[in-house]
Amino acid sequence: MPEPAIFIEGLQFAYGTHRILHDIRLDIPHAEFSVILGRNGCGKSTLLKLMAGLLPIQNGRIRVCGNDLVTMSHSQRGEMIGYLPQMHSPTFPFTVEEVVMTGRASHVFLSPGKEDREKVFQAMSLVGLGYLSKRPYTELSGGERQMVMIARLLAQEPRVILLDEPLTHLDPANQARLLLLIKALIKRELTVLAVLHDPNTAFLFADHLFFLEEGSVYTPQDGREPWDPEVLSRVYGTSFESIPYKSRFLVIPGSD
Amino acid sequence: MKSKDRALALYLIPAPMLLLSLFIGPSDAVSPSDVLQWIGSGLGITAFPLIPENSIIDAVILEVRLPRILLAFMVGAAMTVSGNSLQALFRNPLVSQDILGLSSGAAFGAALALCIPRIPIQPAAFIFGLLAVGLSYFLARSRSQVSIVSLILSGIIVSGIFTALLTIVQFFTDPFKLQTIVHWTMGNLHHADWTRVKSAALPICTGMMWLLLIRWRLNVIALGDEEARAVGLNPEKEKIFILLPATLIASASVAVAGIIGLVGLAFPHMVRLLVGHDNSKTQPVSLVFGGSVLLAVDNCSRAFADFEIPIGIFTTLIGGPFFVYLLRQNRLNPGEK
Repeated sequence: MPEPAIFIEGLQFAYGTHRILHDIRLDIPHAEFSVILGRNGCGKSTLLKLMAGLLPIQNGRIRVCGNDLVTMSHSQRGEMIGYLPQMHSPTFPFTVEEVVMTGRASHVFLSPGKEDREKVFQAMSLVGLGYLSKRPYTELSGGERQMVMIARLLAQEPRVILLDEPLTHLDPANQARLLLLIKALIKRELTVLAVLHDPNTAFLFADHLFFLEEGSVYTPQDGREPWDPEVLSRVYGTSFESIPYKSRFLVIPGSD
Repeated sequence: MKSKDRALALYLIPAPMLLLSLFIGPSDAVSPSDVLQWIGSGLGITAFPLIPENSIIDAVILEVRLPRILLAFMVGAAMTVSGNSLQALFRNPLVSQDILGLSSGAAFGAALALCIPRIPIQPAAFIFGLLAVGLSYFLARSRSQVSIVSLILSGIIVSGIFTALLTIVQFFTDPFKLQTIVHWTMGNLHHADWTRVKSAALPICTGMMWLLLIRWRLNVIALGDEEARAVGLNPEKEKIFILLPATLIASASVAVAGIIGLVGLAFPHMVRLLVGHDNSKTQPVSLVFGGSVLLAVDNCSRAFADFEIPIGIFTTLIGGPFFVYLLRQNRLNPGEK
């Protein structure tokens, strides 16, 4: 059994007195696609930000590829972990190419060189953005911006990729493109962990599923499958109906 | 690559501009052919015999025009590079040394040093400039966020406080020094001499060199704190190493030339209109553009009027309408609308 890409133990987190995460224990397996599901506000994004080093670890331990996150320098972390932030609009209308180039920050000493430009070019063609390279990022649609930020993540060349709701804003074609891209990254020995909203996408594409319930990891009891309506209704607090699809099940929320 | 060609063209401006400026000045004693001869002798081409008449020419060019030209270029370059860096750092195209209170802070520090003997001007300007920016920033900060509008508001307050303190200094100083201080706060290159050039050269060259070296990192910082952290940069650390040199070169300029209005705000916008938003380009272009344009403005003020109009008044009169134009064209892009 190889060491997990991410190993979390005893992780707690609170904003002030408001507790978000209680005693999380989680192994994210190496070179596989794992998905975290859970209600809005259950701490999914906080958990991801802690793994990405964007929030300080208050209690507990996170090890990434065998290294303790707390002891890593910013640039070591940048070379190991890539994080897709939820969207915001920047002030300056940088071109798409310039935005993707910022992904190289942990590799670049002062100014990006030829190798960095090649990586940026490759990353952009991988997500199918080549034609946008000179356009101002601020003029793009939400979905296009999301794809640009994914190209930036690829240009960064991390070993572990953390995606916070990567499918929002994307049309079905881009959703499919991103999911295929994730599969391709897994083949290249990368680890991908995503927070998703749609359980069906997770059932169809993920290698591993984790439920987060009020700041704790919830493991279904008695060998129940994740698509079991009872499991899902406990996690999401609404009823579900499951429909057989190929060898699995898909679910429809809100049906009695 | 239109913007690339434009950047290349801009790099070619300073040398002829500096040379041309030697010919301009209100003095009747020095004709253009005199200047040509002076330059020629410097290159060893023409003769420049040391007769009394020529020594006046030599003095005018070497002691009056040359330091003024260098000072105008340095101050223009420093204010533009610093303005561009501050705008990227605060992710706010409406920020400048004046708006952040940096200028009035540095002006207060320098005025204090003029009145109280034994306080050196440059360090005093830097310390109070830094203090003013720091105050504006921390007053605007709530929940580790600094919004565009609150930063401008807190800057206005801090700027007002230091302007009031400056007035107190003026109130208690003797009339002779008062005139110097008043002239100098208006933004003035009239008193340019080698002492001023030398006192400003070290801080301006060091700070500018640093800001040019880290120019690409400004792009990463300008995208956002979380975006910078996600790619392995520590934004807090990076910001300090942008803020310190940007404040250093701006307060060094204020210490020698007073508050030259709108240069730090308007010039970076003009640069971005010319070459785009990539700071790898805007930083070096800010240097050559800011230096050359302020020098050109100063040349006009020297050429057209027999009496000296402080250059700060000129730049404000030119920069004001330009900003109105930007505002009407909606090109200020203050982020989310």
